[in-house]
Amino acid sequence: MTQAGIALVVDDSRVNRLVLARQLTGIGLEIMEAEHGVEALELLRAHPDAIDIVLLDVMMPEMDGYETLAALKGDEALRHLPVLMVSGVEELDSVVRCIELGATDYLTKPINPRILQARLNASLAAKRLRDLELEYLEQQRVLTQTIERQKTELSRFLSPQIAQLISSTEGESMLAGHRRQITVAFCDLRGFTRFAEGADPEEMLGVLGEYHRMMGDAITEYGGTLEHFAGDGVMIFFNDPVPQDDHVERAVRMAVAMRDRFRPLSASWRKRGYELGFGVGIAVGYATLGRIGFEGRYDYGAIGNVTILASRLSSQAGANQILVSQMVAGMVEDLVEVESVGELTIKGLSRPVSASNVVGLTERHAATPR
Amino acid sequence: MSEHDPAILDASVLDELRASVEGDRSFVVELIEAYLADGAAHVDAINAALRGDDAEALVRPAHTLKSSSATLGAMRLAGTARELEMIGRSGSLAEAGEAAGRVAEEWQATSDALRAWISSDSGA
Repeated sequence: MTQAGIALVVDDSRVNRLVLARQLTGIGLEIMEAEHGVEALELLRAHPDAIDIVLLDVMMPEMDGYETLAALKGDEALRHLPVLMVSGVEELDSVVRCIELGATDYLTKPINPRILQARLNASLAAKRLRDLELEYLEQQRVLTQTIERQKTELSRFLSPQIAQLISSTEGESMLAGHRRQITVAFCDLRGFTRFAEGADPEEMLGVLGEYHRMMGDAITEYGGTLEHFAGDGVMIFFNDPVPQDDHVERAVRMAVAMRDRFRPLSASWRKRGYELGFGVGIAVGYATLGRIGFEGRYDYGAIGNVTILASRLSSQAGANQILVSQMVAGMVEDLVEVESVGELTIKGLSRPVSASNVVGLTERHAATPR
Repeated sequence: MSEHDPAILDASVLDELRASVEGDRSFVVELIEAYLADGAAHVDAINAALRGDDAEALVRPAHTLKSSSATLGAMRLAGTARELEMIGRSGSLAEAGEAAGRVAEEWQATSDALRAWISSDSGA
């Protein structure tokens, strides 16, 4: 039993075409006919998807089976079509050439209907498999395209590391929650509330835009993961989701770079009458990281004392101060010069904590920016 | 004509052909009629090519006549047409004379035999 399909019969003899057509319709195929190779190629190119199999006479005037086959196999849209060569017994040498050139199989005249049917079935099965494969590849291509577009969109809304994580194979377990040591940097603007009260909304958005752009560049440069923006407040962490051996150093270097780049910005704002200062708090410690929120609105976030400490240090920092916890100071003593600001009483923590202000990179490190 | 020449009409070929289409005699009759119509044109074209000493023009009708004749069991004519095709391909009709002489006569004999098959109750 052959499923319906369309066979193109190419033979210069009408008698031969009639015989083949009759045998093929007898096993459920529809027929198109061509008298020679040129006509066959015209038909195939006009209906590249309609024809399922070609029965090609080897010896024909105009364009013989060999040339026709070569043209067919050289055509991207037609080369997957199964081709059965139909030949006289004396033409077997040419048949060998045709098989080498990509013909699926051959039949000798006079055609034995049972052999015809067996070879047709095999060729059509292969064609159907090929069609399925093409269909599957097309679906795959569309899917991949969609995923790529989603990734691009995601990376606009999220930190690139988090966008990457979501699309990765280990994404699910990472999002489900894990514990890791991270360095957290909290940054915000001194005097922002007063500025926000006094300025036009457009002016305020303009200032925030400049500030966020500068911050965003520095975050990317030092490989930080941006957890969130909230007005002038920005939280960044390091060592997650991408592990970074030097996460403390990166956070401190980033904060110093931000403070340096903040100066020209604040100078231009001052000319426009706004007095804004930049403050940072940095702490290191263990946090639980993963998907935080509720169905419909999740963030990738960090929860732990380390984030609270960094946030409190940031709110205690004066204009252009980078306050770091004692542990951070100890880990970067080689990198930066710090001055102690003594013990700070931190809301929510029972004991006061020692903190230091980062004065700047030590001379040795200042000369070699990242 | 020697005893070893192929038959004008090998009726067993027609029988096989008929068997291959579930014994549909009317289909075989239709085939024969198509052959008689096209074959006459091919024979005319062959004669025209021979008269005009045009080797290239000989190839196509000779080839098609050979092929159709073999399908219907017209073996002697198929052999002659094949010879003519090869002569045509050689590019020179110098050796065509003998085969050219036979083609009209064999075509007549073949046509008669096929018509006789139709009007007989062969395989009916």
